[in-house]
Parts: sequence; structure tokens; C-alpha cells
Amino acid sequence: MTSYSKEVLGDLAAGKLPWPQTRRIMSAYKDDDRFFKMVAVYQDRVAWKDSILLPVSDHLFICQSGDERITRCECGHSFGDYRKNWKLKAAINVRNTEEALREIYPNSDLPDAEWMEIREFICPQCGTLHEVEAAAPGYPIVHDFEPDLEGFYREWLGKPLQQT
Amino acid sequence: MLDKPASALRLRERLLDSERLMEETGCYDGITELTLRNQDPLKFETLHTKLRAYCVSAREMARRISASPGVREVGEMVVAIYTPEGDAIALSNGIMVHVHTMSRFIKWMIKNGYEDNPRIREGDIFANNDAFIGTVQVPDVMDVVPIFHEGTLVGWAGAVCHELEAGGITPGGDVCLAQERFTEGLFVCAEKIGENDEIRRDYVIRCERNLRMPIYWVLDEKAKVASCIDMRESVKQLISEIGLDYWMKVSKEFIEEGRRAQLARTRQLTVPGIYRGHTFYGHVTAGKPGFQLLGDPDWLYNIPIEMEITTDGKITMDFEGTQPWGYHSMNCTPAGMDGGMFVTLTQHMNFEGLVNDGAWMATELKLPHGTWTNPDNEMVATATSWALLLPAYGVFQRLLSRSFIARGFVEEAFVGQVNSPMIEMGGESQYGTPFGMAHFECAAAGSGALAIKDGLDTAYVGWNPESDMGNIEVWEQSMPMVYIGRSIVPNSGGAGKYRGGCSFVSTWLINKTSHLRIHTSEHSSRVFDNGGMCGGYPAPTCQKHRAVRNSDIHELAAKGEPLAHAPGIDPHVSDYERNIGGDHVVVEGPYITAPHKSGDIFSHSYNGGGGYGDVLERDPIKTAWDVENGFLTRQAAEQVFGIVLKDDEDGYPIADIDATVERRAAMRKERLAKAVPVVDWIAKERGRVEKADFAPEVKKMYASAIKLSPRFTSEFSEFWNVDARSIFMPGAKP
Repeated sequence: MTSYSKEVLGDLAAGKLPWPQTRRIMSAYKDDDRFFKMVAVYQDRVAWKDSILLPVSDHLFICQSGDERITRCECGHSFGDYRKNWKLKAAINVRNTEEALREIYPNSDLPDAEWMEIREFICPQCGTLHEVEAAAPGYPIVHDFEPDLEGFYREWLGKPLQQT
Repeated sequence: MLDKPASALRLRERLLDSERLMEETGCYDGITELTLRNQDPLKFETLHTKLRAYCVSAREMARRISASPGVREVGEMVVAIYTPEGDAIALSNGIMVHVHTMSRFIKWMIKNGYEDNPRIREGDIFANNDAFIGTVQVPDVMDVVPIFHEGTLVGWAGAVCHELEAGGITPGGDVCLAQERFTEGLFVCAEKIGENDEIRRDYVIRCERNLRMPIYWVLDEKAKVASCIDMRESVKQLISEIGLDYWMKVSKEFIEEGRRAQLARTRQLTVPGIYRGHTFYGHVTAGKPGFQLLGDPDWLYNIPIEMEITTDGKITMDFEGTQPWGYHSMNCTPAGMDGGMFVTLTQHMNFEGLVNDGAWMATELKLPHGTWTNPDNEMVATATSWALLLPAYGVFQRLLSRSFIARGFVEEAFVGQVNSPMIEMGGESQYGTPFGMAHFECAAAGSGALAIKDGLDTAYVGWNPESDMGNIEVWEQSMPMVYIGRSIVPNSGGAGKYRGGCSFVSTWLINKTSHLRIHTSEHSSRVFDNGGMCGGYPAPTCQKHRAVRNSDIHELAAKGEPLAHAPGIDPHVSDYERNIGGDHVVVEGPYITAPHKSGDIFSHSYNGGGGYGDVLERDPIKTAWDVENGFLTRQAAEQVFGIVLKDDEDGYPIADIDATVERRAAMRKERLAKAVPVVDWIAKERGRVEKADFAPEVKKMYASAIKLSPRFTSEFSEFWNVDARSIFMPGAKP
């Protein structure tokens, strides 16, 4: 049975594991105890006490906060109920002019700002850029991920979540 | 010759029976128990390994027969072994997208009465390149041969090569000017092209009379038939060793095992739930010669994808809300969509165990009728369907990757494959002969980033995991152009904590010809179609084409003056314009112009992949290395990533860590100062939506999506709290 230490998984998640070791992990049979170990890695990384239930992005986690399950930034900022789109409670910077696009693409040809804009979804507390959407103007903001959290814990992990 | 089926039932009845059993039991062919695997797992695994070895060996042998650099150099070929009903049991490496499209081709023949006419006999060779029967595009020509054992049909061997010339309205295979089926090139529609293991002479003559470069197609046919015969004989030998009954059972258990393995891998690697994403494609043809005004010349497509993973491990992809098919070459058929799904799954999830059609059976595609994914008109062109397939399946890879991240398997998360434009050409070769060719160096774009490292530079395309750009010298043998540059495009990967893989740009001097037609396809310039993830930016959009007609390069070379070997990093003035005299041309979108001649210069950039994570977290030391080696510019390092560089004593860039920390803190503050709450932005933007204050192409896109999709309409209306129909389709009946 393949298994890795929390330290190895921590380095893997941080992109610090040497490539030959990373390559071996990629090629090997997957480790069945990965999920909870990785959650423990993330739990050590954050300063807050709420239990992480699911990582959903590089610095976003669904966690148990009292009776609520919320999406929280690594810095601690809460984006509210995990079933709602966290982006709606983020800060946004939209690049829809040549000048604004040129800041990110200084040496390339640019798309037509009339056809396409870049939307940066930012944590209002720490300023982390959590997600970038490239969309036509007027396109609704995407709700990227609605996990079946209850089903995942109950049927795949065999550890049903406590009722809230 | 014999054409007796393996059971009392005819093939068609067996196929329908197999489908019924799958429907009733949920298991392939009604196999609810893997009896043979349980009896002797070692024998079971060994046999499948043998079948895979037959496939790999047959493909390698066949590549040596081909004359095409696409097949020989770049590996644009795949072979597979099928059940009598046409389900893939084992396959080779290569363009695996076609393993399932061939399956559709075999099933199509069975369902269309081929047992009676033209009959299926030992030694027959059937070919197809009709996407509505089972392929992706015209140049993907597939051959299959039935495998008989002592008079009983026991399977099929199949092979596909991507042809470099298909005889369409424009030379090459990805025929960018095709707006209907009738201009795509030479169609072979599930045709018996040979008997007794010999390709018919009249078929070869048809190829020779209808193609610009028949040597590629015809020798590829011979390569494919050779590989099929090789696999067929190996399977027959195997059956003589293990017995027919065992073969008939084990070949199907392999597929059911593959199906179960896919479900198990989904449960192991992902998290159940609903995942969403989108991408776009912008087509620009207004004013270009040759395009018929059958539809709007410029258009914008949205490609929204909703992926559901259920707790039983099934993955469903739904394209509801996307655009209708059109009079362009980028439509796709369900076969092509299946193929995209299959090749993506094989790379992302099927990295162990039995890889076959079972994986595909554990998934479902929802392809709305009438859209580009499932046209309700079989006259449409699909010659460049990759233009939409690639960005679409790039989204699929990002959706899967989010599930891997959620499950903790960060090393599997990958921002995905990219759409990258392709060059095709024809006219008079450097030898003074007619020629036509697709230039397949495009099979080595930049990949999307991973969640733990940068993407692959100039080394990945989604359709062929063995991506390869081919050697310059080989391409130069095949076309009247010589390379004067092939180099990394700085900043061509999307920015992020981990940047997307960079692409490359080639520059050619047209040589020894008075008539060279160059065309490009899959060229989406007005939008980003290769997105980023988790804060990473999309890769730059397609770069414009730059050419110099009547250049003075020979005079410059004679004087020993410096030349330009790449466009450079100034988006406003290229190095060609700075260093080379002549008539400079900058073209956006597909390159459709008058023929070139000796002395002209042409350049073409490929695309990089999207980035992953927040740019302000990128490693400064790695960035200094990137700048030193031409993957990033100094300007981008400081302006985009907030990394301040200084020079070491030898003049090489090194990171100034203290200055970088300071600059990044300032950038983070500036970021927050510029940003507004999303709710405020929505409230303001809503006014623009109500007025439909958008470019005509954007408005048209919304109107088309609303017309086709009640779900898109309701989601759009709900999000903006507007009546989408009344805004974008005023006067339309409800």
C-alpha cells in the first residue's frame, strides 16, 4: 500500500519536492490515505482553528465553522456558506481596456477588449488572487464548484459528516 | 471466403444485444462478474499486456512504411484491436483520440447492413474519414480489417493516420476555407477499399487523382493495412493458443474491467459534485478572400461546460448553452466529441490498468442537438473541429483538476491542453512539382501549468500525448521554405505562481518556388481560449501572422547584415520591420492571402498554456532563470510578477529578494485599492446588460445561446435579474 508522510505531502503541495521524487509519486499507485493527510497539511498551514473539510482552490477551503460550513481564505476571511458562489463575496478587478490588459501581457498581441475581458477575483482581506475568469462582457460569473460534501464523506470516505 | 459470425446471431443483432445488456445490467455486454479475471488474474493481465504489445509493435512497424513526416516524425497514428461489435479492447500510444472514433465506424458499418452488402469477409479492408460515421475531421483516415478465426469473426484490427493532405479547397488537412462538407476534400465513407489483404487499384487511382500529395495518403494506407494485418495475425496466433471460447470471453471482460477501473479511479481521485467552466473562440474572416458569405464572417462562440461526478463514479459532461453549428470548418460531430473525451481520460485518469473503451463507457456526454457539438445538418464542415475541441477539453481538464486538488492529489492537477494554430500549404514545391502539406510542428505547443510546477515548454498537445514538433531538416525536405528561426516565445505561457508552458515561433524564408499558398487554421485571435486556474492567467491569445513580401533578405545576407529570426518582444513593431526591408504584412485570424514566392518571409507563432495560482507567489529565483533563458521578459518579471531583477557580475539576471518583497507588497495593496466588491460590480454591469451595450458579435452570441438553450436563458436572466430573451431577442415569440 502506497503511503507518504505528511512532510512529503507538504513539500509536494508547496512545489518544493525534488522533481525525481515528484515524478515517482506521479508514476506510482495512488496513496489511499492521501485526503486526510493532505487536509492535515493544510490545517497546519492556516492560522485559524476551524476544521478544514475540503480544499477547493490553491488558498480556499471549505471548513466547519461552528454550525456552519463556509468557504474560507487561507488568511481567515470568510466567503460565507460553501453552497453559495464565493466569488460573489470577493473583490473584483476587471481588465477590459487595452491598457489594463497590456499590464499582464506586455509583449504579446492582445485580444479585443470588446469581445473579452479578464475578471480577477480577489480576497478583500489579504489581496490574494483566487481566480481569473476570461469571459465575454456580460457573461454571468461562473460558480466553479458545488461539491457533494455530504455524499463524499458518507459514501467515498466512509466518515459521514456530523449533522449541523 | 467465409463470413460466418461467432454466434448464431448476426453481427447487428449481437451489437444490439450487447447494447441491451449494458442498458439492463449497467455492465458491458451484461458481464456482471469478471469470472476469468478471478480465476487466473495473472493470465488475464498477461494477455492484455500481450494485446497492447501487439498494438505498439504494429504501430512502430507501420510508421516506417509511411512517407509522411506527420506519421514518421510526429507519430500521428494510432492502432487498436476491437471486439466483433467494435469496442476497443487494447490500443497503442499515439493519437488515441481515434480509438473510440474507429469504434463508431465499425458499429456504423454493422448497423448499416454491411454484413449483407458489401459483406464482411476475411481479407477485406474498410476505410473511412467521414466524421458523421466516425472520425474527427477529413484528414483522419481510418482503416479496419476484420479478424476471422477458422471462419468465425472474432474481432477487428484498426489503424488511423492523420493525413497531411486531404484534397480540399485549401491545401493540407485542416481545410480552413471549408464552409460545407463539399469543400473539405476527398471523402471515403465507410468504403470497402480492398479485398484479400490488397488495397484496390481503383481506390488508389481515386486518391492519386484527387489529392495534391497522394504519396502521403497512399503510403499511409499501406502502413495502416500492414499494421492491421500484423495485429490480426498476432491475435489469430493468440487464439490458437488460448482457444476461441476463452478469447471471446476475455476480450469482453477486458472492457468491463476497464469500465470498472475508470469508475474506481474517479472515486479514488476526485470529489463528487458539479464543476463548471467555460472558454471562448473568436473567428475573424471579414474581408478575407475565398470565404463565402453564408453566415456572419466574424463570430464569437461561448463553450460552457458543466461536469457532474456522481457518487457512483460516473462523469457526465454537458455542453448545454453553447453555440449552433455554422458555415465554417470548426463544427464537430459526436464522434469527435467522444474522441476528445477518450484521449483526455487516457491521459488524466487511465495511467494504470487496462486502457480501452471501458473508460469511455463510464462517462456520458450531453451534446445539445443543433450545436457545433452535435450538428443537426450532416452537410456541415468539420475540417478544423480541433479549433473548438481543444479549448473545450482544456476546460474539461481544468474541471477534473479542481477535483484532484479537492481530493489532495495536487500532482495530477493540470491547467490543460491548448488550442494552437496550424499551418498548411501547397502549390509548387522546391523540386518544381505540385505539392500540398500540413506542417505538423504545431504538435508541440506549451501546456497549461500544473498545480506544483510550470507547464511543459514546446512539448504538449492534447490530441497526442507523445507530442513532437519534428526536426527542422525533415520539414525542410518537404516544403519550399527554409527555417531562419525557431525560438521560444517569451511570456507565451499564462502568468501565475506556476506559469503555463511557453510556445515557439518559426520564421521561414520562402525558397525555390514561384507559387506557395500558405494557410492557417485554428487561429482564435480576439479572445483568450486557453484559460488559467486558481488565480493563474490565461495564455496570450493567438499572435498575429507577420510576413514580408519581396524582402531584401538576400541582399542583407550578402552584406553580412543582421537579420531577424523572430518577431521580437515589441508588440507594436516587429524585428522583421526593424531589420528587413520589403512589404510588411500583419494578418489577424486565418491566413488566407495571395501566394508567396521565393524571397518572401513568413512567421507563425504557436500557443502556450494557462497559468496556475497567484502571480505574486511565483519563485523569484526560477523567474531569473526564465528571463536568462528567454521564457520571460524582464518587463514581465517586474510588471506582472512583481519580481525585481538585477545583474550579477557576469551580467546574468538574479532576483533582488528584498526589492521583490517590497514591490509585491505594494502591488498587493494596489490590487486591493483598484478592486471593487463583486456585488457593486454586478449592480453597475447590470445596466450595461439591460442595454445590451456590447459588440455585435457578443450580442449575436447571447442571442444564439438563448435561442438554443432554456437553461442558459434562465441562468443568464437569474444572474443579472433581467429578462434575457427580451434583451437579446426583442420581438421573438416566447
